Amino acid sequence: MQWWEVVVLIEDVFAAAKSRVDEVELVIAEGHGIRADLRRGKITIGTASRSAGIIIRTIHDGRIGVSSSDSPARWKECLDAAIAGGKLADRQEWGGLFGPVQERETLARDPTLIVSPDLLNDLITTMVQGSEEYDAKITSGSASLSSGNVTLANSAGLLITEPSTHASLSIEMIQGQSTGFEHDASWQLSRINPFTIGKTASWFAYAGQNGVELDSGTYDIVLSPDALSQLLDTVLTPALSGRNVHAGRSVLAKKIGEQVLGEEISLFDDPLDPRGSANSYWDGEGVPVRRLDLITNGVLNCFAYDLRTAYRYGKETTASAVRGGLAGAPSIGFHNLILKGPVDNVLDEKAVYIHDVVGAHTANPMSGDFSVELSSPFFAEGGELGTPIRSAMLSGNVFDLLNQVQCVSAETKTLGNMILPSIRIENQTLVGKI
Amino acid sequence: MDRSYRYYDVRRVKGELSQIDIDNSVIESAGSSFVDLALIRVLGPVGWGVLSVNGDLIEGDSLPDTLLHEALDAAKITNGAVSIVEGECQVLSVPKPKEDPRDVSLEEKTQILLDLERHAKMDDIVNTRVTYTERTGNITFFDSSDNRFSYEICRCGFGILAVACKDGITQMGYERRHTINGLNIRHQQNLALHAGTIAQELLHAKPARGGMMNAVLDPELAGVFAHEAIGHAAEGDLVQEGSSVLAGRIGEKVGTPVLTIIDDPTIEDFGFCPVDDEGSKTKRTEIIKSGVVNAYLHSMESMAAVGEDTGVLGHARGMAGIVPIVRMSNTFIDNGDSDYDEIINECNDGILLKGSRGGQVDPGRGVFQFNAEYGYLIENGECTTMVRDVSLSGDILGTLHQVQLCGNDRKLHAGYCGKYGQTAPVSDGAPHILLKNAVVGGSCLD
Repeated sequence: MQWWEVVVLIEDVFAAAKSRVDEVELVIAEGHGIRADLRRGKITIGTASRSAGIIIRTIHDGRIGVSSSDSPARWKECLDAAIAGGKLADRQEWGGLFGPVQERETLARDPTLIVSPDLLNDLITTMVQGSEEYDAKITSGSASLSSGNVTLANSAGLLITEPSTHASLSIEMIQGQSTGFEHDASWQLSRINPFTIGKTASWFAYAGQNGVELDSGTYDIVLSPDALSQLLDTVLTPALSGRNVHAGRSVLAKKIGEQVLGEEISLFDDPLDPRGSANSYWDGEGVPVRRLDLITNGVLNCFAYDLRTAYRYGKETTASAVRGGLAGAPSIGFHNLILKGPVDNVLDEKAVYIHDVVGAHTANPMSGDFSVELSSPFFAEGGELGTPIRSAMLSGNVFDLLNQVQCVSAETKTLGNMILPSIRIENQTLVGKI
Repeated sequence: MDRSYRYYDVRRVKGELSQIDIDNSVIESAGSSFVDLALIRVLGPVGWGVLSVNGDLIEGDSLPDTLLHEALDAAKITNGAVSIVEGECQVLSVPKPKEDPRDVSLEEKTQILLDLERHAKMDDIVNTRVTYTERTGNITFFDSSDNRFSYEICRCGFGILAVACKDGITQMGYERRHTINGLNIRHQQNLALHAGTIAQELLHAKPARGGMMNAVLDPELAGVFAHEAIGHAAEGDLVQEGSSVLAGRIGEKVGTPVLTIIDDPTIEDFGFCPVDDEGSKTKRTEIIKSGVVNAYLHSMESMAAVGEDTGVLGHARGMAGIVPIVRMSNTFIDNGDSDYDEIINECNDGILLKGSRGGQVDPGRGVFQFNAEYGYLIENGECTTMVRDVSLSGDILGTLHQVQLCGNDRKLHAGYCGKYGQTAPVSDGAPHILLKNAVVGGSCLD
């Protein structure tokens, strides 16, 4: 869509909605991208995509309706569906959409990230070269580049247009029955190192061969950022959402001011941390973002709110509305969730290093209890990974786990909306085959 | 038209998604959204070129030259040769729903769900939530081999969650039902009652002890076992990539003779596929036959790469606007001849695992994990104490030798499966089964 077509669409939707509802919000997203898929080390699929879509949210007498469509031309149908949905929804306290904001520069657009087959080919070829560092085979992998524009406008006068770019790479490798997986994604090309991605995957596949069985028992463990992010995602982040808290779905609900994690552990959302994968000055409802200290030195400070949940429960929005693509209403989420703790070398003392886990999504989101199979586990000591472990299962509770953190690494990894270190935890139950 | 292609197909999915969310008796949302996406796949001189665009760029059943060329341009980056095997195209008729969900207004559905949700409310229940999803898709397909078809299918269903909280302990009960056979939300109050009761009972359940033990899996969880431990590793694309431990094992005995595992897209359950997303006829596929690896699930590409005698075509499925990949449909362990009492008795001392919170597999390493919603200890051939947070993990190649008994009470359960970022509606099922010396995960050890 050309910019003037976007302007006309906004005017048309607002004019049509004006006599029917109190307020209307419109998201227009468009973009294009290319992708290459590897199979057994060769590119077998090249993909190009062009997309456009809209989300319309209407509010009338405290009743909220939402509809979306990937055909902007079908906006009338979409507006009718949003209004019809709003009529069915229960009324809630509502204080109005967020108004105009100051224009600011975009934070997630890299002018050097050109959506071109040549760049795509360079990235994937370099990743494949990196994968040749150790003796292992590529099973699958991909590289993608995209660029897009999202416009958020509402009848309170808000108008934000944000262009963005995105690059992502992933690779899966195998040697014998040992697998290695590595991935990275960012808005900025210079933050992605394709050679290292390939090299890391090949090292884990190569070094993980001939793993030994592990005796069931209690061990000190080190969770990589990937492994940690999956456990936090299933258990901790939903428990910090204001909606879940007030609905009775959070174990943290009545614990403001209480010690919920280890005394040296802090968790906060810093939307403008430069390591972020797609930063913006505004949240998904156009509210200016700010740092949100959720848990400080183990003590729970606050929960996250969007406009809707804040109005309903007499709170203030924490600018925590996020949008997961073109799938309807914004929901409560985080921008750059950061975990901090005492920094030290996590691999100095003897431990079981856990690169990844299988089945984190099966954790009990209410209690935090989980049980996962380990991926690429190694015995580690003296700062290095040593003997690989064939297989083992880690069982425990995410909250207890974060109560027993000994130290965290200085190095972090950005994984979607989280920026995490590796963490060392004492006394965890591992179930082995012996 | 340009003949630098070897094959092309076009799949357009146009549809509507309706959702209702009722949280603690408040109607949070009830509305519809619209989808219209087209995927054009062209097999160029080397590999695939794919173009994903808005569906309204495809009119009728002809592919505009401009789009064909765009897809061919996308194929220029490929350097790995792709071949395909084209099979017979045949489309099964989609069963007529008993009560068409589209004939019932969102208002009426909302009222039925509000009543349903009330039945999960009981002592110590602090939250109840019911969600309803109804997805109607109109699929139009045509290819360069003159196959063309269109069909419409509506999938709908609901989930009911009950959260119990007492003395600082929070637990949940969850039930869901999804179907292709029409509106299924009427007269389901017992399911809501069950979700509430399980949440209540789990407040008093003990944490499970981990370790090696005999385990009985109920039909829902044994279905997840079939799906995670075998189904994924039998997917032809993973076999082709070299990331399945079942690669090269056709004809090899990997399990006990009581074990037969089938994927059948023709069964009119939630994983039903009238035809696959490459236009291939769908067929019942016996993955494991009496303990022996019998067939992989194939797409046109994986069959050409792995071998025409290694499995069955018709298992490619893709979300709207995304490349189809090899997927399961209705996957199940076939009935054996043991009854439930015999299985519990034979287990003697161990654990009965019930319900599913999902699972995951690394098919290359051959390691899987899945989690039960709850369980009961089995002591001296009797079910006794309720336990919570029990999971099971194992090696694909080892675990199938541990399946000692298969029951005669097979049931299918609907769900969704994720692979490579795509979600597919599936059914998993099994009778009760007995695993000897399974690795059970729990938060404490003996």
